[in-house]
Amino acid sequence: MSHTHTHGNKDDSHHKAAPMVEEVTDYEVLEIAVRELAIEHGLFTAEDHRRFTEWAESIGPAAGSRLVAKAWTDPAYKTLALTDGLKACKEIGVDWAEPTGVGTPSDYMEFHVLEDTPTLHHVIVCTLCSCYPRPLLGMSPEWYRTTNYRRRLVRWPRQVLAEFGLILPPEVEVRIEDSNQKCRFMVMPVRPAGTENWTEEQLAEIVTRDCMIGVALPKPGRTADVHPIQKARRPVKSSHQEAAQ
Amino acid sequence: MKKSNTSPEKGTLFKVGDKVCVRDMPYMFYTRSQLYTRGVVGTIAALTYKDLIPEEEAFNFDGRVEQYYIVRFRQKDLWPGYPFDNDTLQTECPHRWLEPATN
Amino acid sequence: MPSQDLREQLELIRSIQPAVHVPQNWNYENTGPMYKAYMHPPHDVGGQFDVPIYYEEKEEEEWELNTYVTCEVLGWRGAWTAEERRRRADNDLGYTLYLGMPYYARWIWAAAKMLVDKKHISLAELQEKIAEVKSRYEKK
Repeated sequence: MSHTHTHGNKDDSHHKAAPMVEEVTDYEVLEIAVRELAIEHGLFTAEDHRRFTEWAESIGPAAGSRLVAKAWTDPAYKTLALTDGLKACKEIGVDWAEPTGVGTPSDYMEFHVLEDTPTLHHVIVCTLCSCYPRPLLGMSPEWYRTTNYRRRLVRWPRQVLAEFGLILPPEVEVRIEDSNQKCRFMVMPVRPAGTENWTEEQLAEIVTRDCMIGVALPKPGRTADVHPIQKARRPVKSSHQEAAQ
Repeated sequence: MKKSNTSPEKGTLFKVGDKVCVRDMPYMFYTRSQLYTRGVVGTIAALTYKDLIPEEEAFNFDGRVEQYYIVRFRQKDLWPGYPFDNDTLQTECPHRWLEPATN
Repeated sequence: MPSQDLREQLELIRSIQPAVHVPQNWNYENTGPMYKAYMHPPHDVGGQFDVPIYYEEKEEEEWELNTYVTCEVLGWRGAWTAEERRRRADNDLGYTLYLGMPYYARWIWAAAKMLVDKKHISLAELQEKIAEVKSRYEKK
């Protein structure tokens, strides 16, 4: 395979400089080709791409954690979260209309919070693709996108949840939400015991991304979702990768 | 982009609590109505929004705007031999894919 | 958890199990169920059988983030809708590419195909651009 060098890439005003890595993969080449052609043909501008990238790098699950923590401590906000998801998001600083002003093309503006109770546990999947409430939770985890999760969760939910370490008694209703159209969902778990008098910040720390998808339950001391990580050859160098680590 | 309504839904809109059956319509090229729901009876859990149907939006066809519903099914009705009585599944269906359930 | 070597070895062994291969070459007829199976959109996988696997996180590649943004911005500026993207990237490409290509590879494939289908660019132009981008990274 040919080696790559960093010279020869002078007209870089609208895309990132050539990477200092051995090989450029076919999909990297294709991505650059499509983006440059699209810009050359006026389908969008480099500034559009930069602005949307900025938004994509700003999102993450911390916002969802804040929403849940606030709902746990403020009954009026909890009611709002369950009746007007978009408004509840706005109150904690997430505007689903961003960055275009009318929402992202993939995430729409139809957001609902699913409330768990001691006898009802929600878990979310998109069997058809990987629809996910990006504005509130950031990018979906890799496993959520796999055909494997999408095939199995709807039919063998308790087995899949058990693989995540979550085993629920048979009397509890497991409700799978297959988000196959424009609605986007997030789980509001039951506030666990042992968190009496906790601050919102303390509560938010235990509401991890997996808890808001429904494959984990929040509990005191559990502040991270632990999964094996497939490293990238040429990773994105920015803070929005924090959630994966 | 929302399109103007060119033909209203056939039949009256469903209400929360109505029993509905997912129609086993012929399909090809594209649909977002899952195979595992076809012919299964569920209950309307919520009305969500009106929008283009996926079969038309995916082809940029300036077509039907329909009511969408969240439909709730019992897992026992969706999967043969499902062992947990209380488990349920919800998913979203546009009006054209639903008909009133006879039972 | 087994070591990476053991996991790889178990996978390789699984991949060399014998199977009866039935080449397809323009059958004269399809049965009713086979017709339905061929018409079934590939993305509708709910309820299909699969085995437990390790559910992993994946560090995002730069090209993957760029792909995501390119596809969304094409939607933002009106070249396509997300629904069209899903139709193209999750169904039109067929089972082999759907299951064989990486997740974001399907996104960028679909974007390229859309640009050609809608006559924003010619296929020849796309080929030449790919060759030109490739040549920037080749050792002179």
